[in-house]
Amino acid sequence: MNVLLSSLFHVLIFPGLLFCVVMGVLLSGLDRIWVARMQRRVGPPLLQSWYDFLKCCGKETIVPRHAKKAVYFAAPVVGFAALISISLFLPIAGGKPAYSGTADLVVILYLLTLVSVCTIVGASASGSPFAGVGLSREMVAMISYELPFVLVILAVSRAILAPGDSLNNIFSLQAIADYQAANGPLITRWALIPAAIAMLFVIPCEVGMHPFDVAEAETEICEGTLAEYSGPPLAVFRLTHMVKMFIMTALFCVLFLGGITTGIAVLDVILFVLFCLILTFLTMSLPHGACARFKVEQVFKFYWTVVAGLAALSLILVWLGL
Amino acid sequence: MFEKLIDNSMAKSPWIFHINAGSCNGCDIELVSVLTPRYDAERLGFRLTGTPRQADIVVVSGPITLQTRDRLVRTLAQVPEPRVVVSLGSCPRSGNVFKGSYAIDGPLEKYTHVDVSVGGCTPKPEAIIAALAKATEILKEKRKEMHK
Repeated sequence: MNVLLSSLFHVLIFPGLLFCVVMGVLLSGLDRIWVARMQRRVGPPLLQSWYDFLKCCGKETIVPRHAKKAVYFAAPVVGFAALISISLFLPIAGGKPAYSGTADLVVILYLLTLVSVCTIVGASASGSPFAGVGLSREMVAMISYELPFVLVILAVSRAILAPGDSLNNIFSLQAIADYQAANGPLITRWALIPAAIAMLFVIPCEVGMHPFDVAEAETEICEGTLAEYSGPPLAVFRLTHMVKMFIMTALFCVLFLGGITTGIAVLDVILFVLFCLILTFLTMSLPHGACARFKVEQVFKFYWTVVAGLAALSLILVWLGL
Repeated sequence: MFEKLIDNSMAKSPWIFHINAGSCNGCDIELVSVLTPRYDAERLGFRLTGTPRQADIVVVSGPITLQTRDRLVRTLAQVPEPRVVVSLGSCPRSGNVFKGSYAIDGPLEKYTHVDVSVGGCTPKPEAIIAALAKATEILKEKRKEMHK
């Protein structure tokens, strides 16, 4: 009974559904305000993304004639569920993760891919040519950021591995958190700084924020993958996008900024939220305010040369034992 | 309770879809200027969306030319309820200087119910913001009627 209750608490409240949604709304609201201030505008209210979500819930849903109905409705829900389940593996604010396993970083990698795949599947099920262009671009974006992302994870996993250590700890977030609690945050290790910078670049592309939102270019291809979505399914997609902002920044905190604790659990969570806010400003608002959208091939080239290069440099340095 | 929350959000997050039905580009530029830093319609929650499926307010500019007529009707049919149609400028109202031309088939009232109409060639951004604010009120009313 207790196990069931604590599982329900983890899934529905902390760090599951409720906490993720609140953080997602907060981060995306602040991001929109920051972008507005950079353009010398007043900007929307803080809860604007939440209003958008509620409004979409109250709209009529039109299913296109060529759409595959079951997939069209299932894709956003499956994607959102996959995203929420990532939060259960994150050791948020120095605490223990709700569930931890041997190779949970690999699970997270798969779940993050599943979120993008659900966008692609939903778009292809909607049967629109605009969504078709959007999903092909989404695939290119996925290929672009997956390589540096995997290299970063490899570098971090290798960095915490002491000689003679058992391989059970490899790709384990708990092991990474424990290592940082003992030896200080990994970002202070100079061999991992290129990997941290690469990860900073991976965040906006993974989330699909403005300079890298090639898949949802609203002016060129009518919102791309979301072209045929309306009503509640669209609302779930919007919510997925918001929560992804939180999950990605939280993942960065866990990988590179772990081990910074005050000893009081509530203060730790506040510190964690603060880190997420700073990361959102650095990786999403600042490029959004400063850059115009990249072309698809520019994104691909940038990620496979500069960002993957940085991550690979880190991996080599770590491999040499620096 | 949930219905009331949705009703209130409906007025706070209206997404605009803009249809150019043969406009001279003047009204289009003025509509875009509403979203620029000077007038900043985003503070009221307005957002220009790229697809009619996600739109709440449809803004139509231009005298309805024969080339755009069928596309206009098709696009309007794709907008989910509740929706509000705003006619922008004098052209969709009356045909303006193009009235009597063989190439136009207006006014907009022939094809859809127009909720708000802004006059002027071109209307001032202030007038457009006032019209859009009026449109959000109508949007909320329509939503209330939907679940009655």
